[in-house]
Amino acid sequence: MILFKAGSKGPAFLAMGDRMKSKQKTKGFAYILPALVFIVVIFMIPLTYTVVMSFLRWNLLRPDLGIKPAGFTNYVRLFTDSFTLDTVGRTFYFVVGAVLVELIIGLCIALALDTEFKGWKIVQSILLVPFMIAPVVVGYVWRFVLNSDYGPIIHLMKQIGFGGLVDKPLLSNPSAAMPVLIVADAWEYIPFVTLVLLAGLKSVPYEPYEAAFVDGASSIQRFFYITLPLLRPSILVAVVIRTLTSLRVFDIVFIMTGGGPGTATETLAFYGYRTAFQAYNVGFSSAINMLTFGIAVVFTILYMKIIGGGKNYD
Amino acid sequence: MIRRRPVTRILVFAVIALALIWTLVPLAWILLSSFKFEADQFSIPPKWFPERLTLQNYAKFFGNSEFVRSLINSVMITFLSTVIALFLGVPAAYAIARFNWKHANTIAFVVLIARMTPPIVMVLPFFMIARYLGISNTYLPIVLALSFFSVPFAIWMMRGFFQEIPVSLEEAAMIDGCTRFQSLRRVVLPLVMPGLSATSILCALIAWNEFLFALVLTGQDTRPLPVLVNMFVSERNIEWGVMSAAAIITVLPMIVFGLLVQNDLVRGLTMGSSK
Repeated sequence: MILFKAGSKGPAFLAMGDRMKSKQKTKGFAYILPALVFIVVIFMIPLTYTVVMSFLRWNLLRPDLGIKPAGFTNYVRLFTDSFTLDTVGRTFYFVVGAVLVELIIGLCIALALDTEFKGWKIVQSILLVPFMIAPVVVGYVWRFVLNSDYGPIIHLMKQIGFGGLVDKPLLSNPSAAMPVLIVADAWEYIPFVTLVLLAGLKSVPYEPYEAAFVDGASSIQRFFYITLPLLRPSILVAVVIRTLTSLRVFDIVFIMTGGGPGTATETLAFYGYRTAFQAYNVGFSSAINMLTFGIAVVFTILYMKIIGGGKNYD
Repeated sequence: MIRRRPVTRILVFAVIALALIWTLVPLAWILLSSFKFEADQFSIPPKWFPERLTLQNYAKFFGNSEFVRSLINSVMITFLSTVIALFLGVPAAYAIARFNWKHANTIAFVVLIARMTPPIVMVLPFFMIARYLGISNTYLPIVLALSFFSVPFAIWMMRGFFQEIPVSLEEAAMIDGCTRFQSLRRVVLPLVMPGLSATSILCALIAWNEFLFALVLTGQDTRPLPVLVNMFVSERNIEWGVMSAAAIITVLPMIVFGLLVQNDLVRGLTMGSSK
């Protein structure tokens, strides 16, 4: 769990003189410069452009109005409009729901896979497959199997007596649409959470279990007092990465519900997209995207803190 | 491992069985649908195994020049952005892993922020700039945009692999008269080959599956498979058969490649925070 090895210890240089060290540094810069320039240019130019646009009144459909400085108008509108708060709420509904489901089911599967029964490698490979699939296709797959007329899962639910749940087509039911998106997202990302937790489980030392066994701890006690605490760093990593990646959810929303019914599944990314590419209000869209960016930065810093502090668990 | 009690064993197998069903049912449905005749797609109740199967959906896909074009576009875009990612990312990763810098943390942070930025933040400016420069219908904007994600990814992933190679090996090579570049090329690179292939496959996975940038930054001649799949869905009458064939064609290469590198997946996707 060591992040920035380069900064602190460089065993390579213990044997080298100071002169050599600084020479190495200059040379090293040549290795990293192209990538750094690329990232900064490809990142900074668009980001600056977004910041500038967010302070403009600019609608691509109304060239007659021109591009005018708008001061903080876009941001004032963003933060006073209750729709923004609703959208942030919906986004977090999705994020919290998806991450929770993925964590709980992922933990169960990881624990099961950790027993190393015969053929676990094949099982693990199969369980991993959804993670390789393009989110757009995942959205399509779930749209198909949940189709109210000829989707096999809906048919099965009707047969086993849950027909009442699926009377209305699921994706046009405002209260069911978001849970369905969460199911599709969970299908794709449970394998990821499982993998991260499984790697964590494999690195859990053996001795505490031995001691607990000798002391007569039940398996439930062993789970809650040994496994779970030792797994904490892996759980944190999985949660934060999944939070960051599900905050940007767009693909499955786009393909499964288009933000609907009404605006029931409109997340921040989709709101930003719709404002820019359907309403063509690029100024206001940029303000929305800056909000999304801000939230992502907060979680990235959180992530840095967690993996930086993970050293204690090595 | 502590010997598990029978109850635990049963529980383990129940979880595995449920997980397999949950994973395979949607997949199997799409796979079977891609071999069904049009009429069997709409049967009520849904038929898992119709009496007859057909390859006509795949024939339709490969008979349509627009679809084949999308497949070629996907390959081109993925290939180009992966090459850029490796070309820029590998030396940078090497430098971060090997050289002793005051600002290593700052650089790492910039790289991470770039990696974590939601695509929606970047897509509108990319679109506006591409439109302004008049390069909208070329590979350039989409390839650059995808490289923006895969370059930081390649840096983070390769950094970990380079750190595992003992510095003493390189020192030995340099004492024997290699320059640093020679020691990188002749000693270190062969040793990180497995990591390099895993990194390139994951970069390809990112590019192949990306949708938002592809949706906004590609036109009729440059659109890759995910955008094509989306176009099927937005039509009024979804042709489930051809669409399913397209979905299978879209996911198959990445499933094959992805499974090849599954052992390195965790590391790549957690940016080196777990090994």
